[in-house]
Amino acid sequence: MGGRTTIALFLTILLGALGLLALWFEAVGGAVLAGFLILGVWTWVLWGRLAPYTQRRATNTAVLALSYGATGLGIFCLVLILGTLIWNGLGAVSIDFFTESTPASGSQGGGMLNAIYGSAVMTIVATLVGSPVGILAGTFLAEYGRGNLIAPVIRFINDILLSAPSIIIGLFVYEAMVLRMGHFSGWAGSVALAILVVPVVVRTTEDMLNLVPGSLREAAFALGTPKWRVIVTVTYRAAMQGMLTGVMLAVARISGETAPLLFTAVNNQFWTTNMNDWMPNLPVAIFQFALSPDANWQRLAWGGALLITVTILALNIVARVLTSGRSFGR
Amino acid sequence: MTALDMAESPQKPPTHAANLAPKIERGPVVKTALPPKVVIRDLKFYYKDFLAIKGVNLELHDKAVTAFIGPSGCGKSTLLRILNRIYELYPNQRATGEVIVDGQNILDPRVDLNLLRARIGMVFQKPTPFPMSIYDNVAFGIRLYERLSASGMDERVESALRRAALWDEVKDKLRQSGMSLSGGQQQRLCIARAVAVKPEVLLLDEPASALDPISTQRIEELIAELKSDYCIAIVTHNMQQAARSSDYTAFMYLGEVIEFAETEAIFTHPQKRQTEDYITGRFG
Amino acid sequence: MAAEVALSRTAESSRSTGLDGFFKGATWFFAMVILLVLAAIIISLIISSVPAISRFGLGFLFSTAWNPVTEDFGALPAVYGTLVTSFFAMLIGIPVALGVAIYITELCPRWLKRPIGTMIELLAAIPSIIYGIWGLFVFAPWFQSTVEPWIIDTLGDVPLVGALFEGPPLGIGLFTAGLILAIMVLPFMASVMRDVFETVPAVLKESAYGIGATTWEVMWNVVLPTTRVGVIGAVMLGLGRALGETMAVTFVVGNAHQLHGSVLLPGTTISATLANEFAEAVTPIYRSSLFNLGLILFVITFIVLAIAKTMLIRMQSKAGA
Repeated sequence: MGGRTTIALFLTILLGALGLLALWFEAVGGAVLAGFLILGVWTWVLWGRLAPYTQRRATNTAVLALSYGATGLGIFCLVLILGTLIWNGLGAVSIDFFTESTPASGSQGGGMLNAIYGSAVMTIVATLVGSPVGILAGTFLAEYGRGNLIAPVIRFINDILLSAPSIIIGLFVYEAMVLRMGHFSGWAGSVALAILVVPVVVRTTEDMLNLVPGSLREAAFALGTPKWRVIVTVTYRAAMQGMLTGVMLAVARISGETAPLLFTAVNNQFWTTNMNDWMPNLPVAIFQFALSPDANWQRLAWGGALLITVTILALNIVARVLTSGRSFGR
Repeated sequence: MTALDMAESPQKPPTHAANLAPKIERGPVVKTALPPKVVIRDLKFYYKDFLAIKGVNLELHDKAVTAFIGPSGCGKSTLLRILNRIYELYPNQRATGEVIVDGQNILDPRVDLNLLRARIGMVFQKPTPFPMSIYDNVAFGIRLYERLSASGMDERVESALRRAALWDEVKDKLRQSGMSLSGGQQQRLCIARAVAVKPEVLLLDEPASALDPISTQRIEELIAELKSDYCIAIVTHNMQQAARSSDYTAFMYLGEVIEFAETEAIFTHPQKRQTEDYITGRFG
Repeated sequence: MAAEVALSRTAESSRSTGLDGFFKGATWFFAMVILLVLAAIIISLIISSVPAISRFGLGFLFSTAWNPVTEDFGALPAVYGTLVTSFFAMLIGIPVALGVAIYITELCPRWLKRPIGTMIELLAAIPSIIYGIWGLFVFAPWFQSTVEPWIIDTLGDVPLVGALFEGPPLGIGLFTAGLILAIMVLPFMASVMRDVFETVPAVLKESAYGIGATTWEVMWNVVLPTTRVGVIGAVMLGLGRALGETMAVTFVVGNAHQLHGSVLLPGTTISATLANEFAEAVTPIYRSSLFNLGLILFVITFIVLAIAKTMLIRMQSKAGA
């Protein structure tokens, strides 16, 4: 008998004994595990019996099957999540959803109007504040960054801020703004969101500007154009589509952010347009409603979740379509 | 006409190269008594520590075309790019020596680069229309320095497009994007853009090498017309084009100007062995 | 005429030089703002943590106490929870992300590449609160009724590992949170891995295929060694995200400041603690302890993200990108 088979037989006896012992102690799990291990041992023996080429093919097939499986799992999860959202959320979406403010606990009906409004306003303010900062900073990295020592440092820090926990940003704005102002506010919420917008826009702006061919810039310089004008009238123009896509992706990112709003704008039960006050918003409202035992609130939470997801997916798809059609001349 | 014949006869008879250039009607070579427009003296160029241009002396004449020929890497494009100091966009590149345009050394650090480039225009190998309308492309350079009325601008744009032989093709679609034109048209747009600012010198860096033969021919005809108003320097790897279109030719090799003379002379009786080898296709 | 043109040009040019400087200065200023924001965050966290640090010192990191009444706080359960949930997220997320990346780059028919790639990126775009409520209302009940009993019965009895999987099937807990995190983080890692795999020059792969290597062998022997640094960078990026995730975890982790042997029991993470308790933290020490937790989280994620970024930069310079 071959070496492998000998070892395999030995292990089978050992594991079999352990499994029986486990069964005697009513540890079913141990017995099952022993069974699996025995299977594994004999697979290993069988493997050794295969010709090398077959071995290679078998490995390949196994790995590829796993890859298919992994992708299938990913797509399955996406479908499942979206399906659940639609299933639970559609029931909540109605005219009332968009026209009435959040109801008190225990009551029926109501909508998410104030939350939708608050989210929209804070998102707009955050984008208006964060995008110019991001675009100009990205311009610095792309156009003035070559040979510069500070540019790689800024790029590094920017990418860290990009992936930093958003709840920390919320803590920071709480300390910097809310404590100083003495109260929560929509402004604080917007600032927190703006801090999240900036790194995204910096990254996409820099990437898009770097894609503009150097020959285009040279042609502008060759006419005697000063550098700022080359950037603003030629380079920006060429990269405009990509830069706008970056802003869209930033908007998509902050639309669903809950954590930074928890300590800044918090949420508001009522309708308000006062940015100096606690500002109603969808994500925190969903957070509060979903965790409550109120069935009406839970229903509204699902509706809000569906709305947010649809908005974000739509933004992403549009951004994707825009970037695929991008070209800088022929 | 064999190589033996050529080696034997003392004065060099017309070489094989002269037969290469098809007989195109060229305008009379303007032998001007004016001082040269651009005087290049002891020009050296460095990429970091590497000496790429090894001391060039020559002159460019006004209302004439000077061609720069030579094998790849000989430095002809590098030399051209010194003349409008476009190399200064990049680090680790510097030039020493003098390039005197109308009595002023343009390599002087006190020279305003933007003003310089408004006087010395450049057209590149790859057509580079700006991402804006045809009209705005041509008007771009004008708007940098001049404030014109709407009708004044219209006139300038039209005249530039006419000079570039593009007006008839685009006059009905001036608002369309410059990038919607064909390759040859885009290049003529770039030429229109360059002449619109009324430069004194035009630098053309292989303007037709990215184009099809028909567009190439039109560009060459264009150059023949433009030379009556500008001092033109053209880099080309197409020898026949140099022979056809230029009045003076400089042959470069490994960063040096091996020979510089009137085109007719260079192609019919080159003085240097290397020139002759290149022209007859022995290398390059 | 030429003189006029020259004069007006000179005036225009000097004006432009001023604008040049202004524009450059403006871009530089806003670029520095990014550095300032980071510095401000760090400083603010440190300042706010000072009361807790001076009260508890380093012991904070190892204490399991969490009593708002006696004002005794400790970070250990939260830190443990953060690390454990992220561990499970990586354990499951990395192989799946690799599988997806391999599929998209090598196995997928050309016409399917973009749709699948888009689907993966859409999965990455779904905000974490959605994962949270989905986890709580859909995944946890299913997990509780179907999978958990099976795990407890089988793995729970295994001699050593079993201690990790004991307890009543609650559906929520550290393990569940880890699973939800895995689903959240894997599309992001898959995306970055796919980008990294695509930097391998086609000629390199083709020469391996040309000798008769199987797809897996090309991956294992050519692509992965070439992109090893980048893949590690992608993994670290995913880890950084997982460590800081709040909403996906808060819903399903159970929010109990307890340290158990079993991962099937409820626990907490730093971000979940912050999300749940910040509003109720009325005393200065309570609040400062929360800030201290935030500082710890920030330091951990900063280190992880810095390593990730360094690796990705190194890979880019190797690939000549």
